[in-house]
Amino acid sequence: MRKRVLAILAWLARMLAILILVITGTTILVRFAPGYLSDEREMDPRYAQAARVELTLEESRSHSLLQLVSTEVRGWLHGDFGLSRQFEVPVQELIQPRLAITGGLLLRSLFAGWVLAICVSIISSAGRDPSMHWQLPATLLLAIPTAAMATLCLLAGKGGPVLVMALLIAARDFKFLHRMLRQAWLEPYVLHARAQGITTSRLLVAHVLPSLAGQLAALASLSVVTALSALVPVEVIFNVPGLGQLAWNAALNRDLPVLLAITLIMAIAVTCCGMGPGRSPEGERA
Amino acid sequence: MRFHRLAVWLLIGLAGVSLAAVLAPGASYSRQDREQPFAAASPSHPAGTDALGRDRLVRTAAALVLSLAGASAAAALTTAAAAGVGASAAFATGAGRWLILLFCDIFLALPWLFLLMMVRSALPLTTSPARSAAVTFLILAALGWPACARAVYSGVLELKNADWMLQARAAGLRRSQTLLHVVPNLLPLLLPQFLVSVPAFVIAEANLGALGLGIGEPLPSWGGMLLELDNSAMLLQTRWVYFPVVLLILVLVLMEAILVEA
Repeated sequence: MRKRVLAILAWLARMLAILILVITGTTILVRFAPGYLSDEREMDPRYAQAARVELTLEESRSHSLLQLVSTEVRGWLHGDFGLSRQFEVPVQELIQPRLAITGGLLLRSLFAGWVLAICVSIISSAGRDPSMHWQLPATLLLAIPTAAMATLCLLAGKGGPVLVMALLIAARDFKFLHRMLRQAWLEPYVLHARAQGITTSRLLVAHVLPSLAGQLAALASLSVVTALSALVPVEVIFNVPGLGQLAWNAALNRDLPVLLAITLIMAIAVTCCGMGPGRSPEGERA
Repeated sequence: MRFHRLAVWLLIGLAGVSLAAVLAPGASYSRQDREQPFAAASPSHPAGTDALGRDRLVRTAAALVLSLAGASAAAALTTAAAAGVGASAAFATGAGRWLILLFCDIFLALPWLFLLMMVRSALPLTTSPARSAAVTFLILAALGWPACARAVYSGVLELKNADWMLQARAAGLRRSQTLLHVVPNLLPLLLPQFLVSVPAFVIAEANLGALGLGIGEPLPSWGGMLLELDNSAMLLQTRWVYFPVVLLILVLVLMEAILVEA
């Protein structure tokens, strides 16, 4: 029990350290991005002198890296994400309503993708000739960029954001699941159990899947990363008003506070999914 | 094995034909023929023209060459960085190793597409197309190494504890000398990592370009040509709009085929 509590505390400490370092790292990366200090609002003749002074102040603050990072970390710890340059409203107000939309899209896509991948890989791994005709559709799906797949779905008038993301997740997960299950079916104890006459479904539920629990958890975290990377093109092309679309809009309009806040939210999501308690830093990543 | 060889030769052939199309006398990916926008296939424009009357075949060929060259260079950079970081972590001890692995974890926790968008959007509006292409692939290289570094780390650890290595160390081989023996043995691990990175970077560039944040015009890119699919007027006029997408998918399938064998 004590060991378990210590493991959870160590995990929490590690998570916190990584999150602070992620915030610091992202801020530094943005600060040193070429053109960070150039702001096209300065070219706008409608801008008043006062606003120009404010921009100069903002720029002077940015010159001190330590101050920039500490302001960012302090703001985040207080739940303050700053002010949107584009909309001139608190970033929090822009993000909050979109979180639920993106969360719902992610959950539905992940569920559909996993179900599809697990079903197909169970059938393919248990068959006699599992190689080419199962791998080919997965390879083809992985070869199509998400933006192209979404555009083609839109042009064909078939499928939506959930289908595109689910297909992408399923294709990626299938490759790993198929290999894992194939190996599991060839384990001596599974072969012995089969010879004893235990049914395939019973073997799967009682022996094969539980033995793969650790690897499945690692694969699940990879799926979240895959889904997050597909989020922007899918939301933009299907016009879903979620965080991905907001990030794209912010990127086009150089609204860095919004973009920074969304990037950090995504970094937190990836960190939380990728490093569960009890997994060593050297733990496997599928 | 036969399919793998076929895929390699097909990819080399495609790259060669594309390079020839780009370097052919009179070919230009940016020259506009305003008399012939949305033109169908003809002897002068075998794959038709785009909205600005630019030759689609030359642009697609140039996109293929640019994408393959950029992705290969970025993949080489990322593999080299991963080899360096992974080997350093494996040879480091105690706090040094912990710090290097923590650094890898931080980079793994960064959502690369969002970060890419963020850095790309911070570029000045006056950035030249060539510079935007270089920056895009450089950022891809800078963000792609951590997963590969972890694989290299595990590979080097295995090599460090291999029997032949223990024997070599017992025979008096110094640490710097062992590194010379580790590097050649890492090649079977680094080559697949390199091959995995190339299609991943091609797809990333295409996705980024389709969002309008990739390589700047008039340089042709896969993503830029995917944007043409949004133009319903063009879709009604010519089916050649799908040509770049089909070619991109073919290139990526060939890369996947090479990868499966590797």
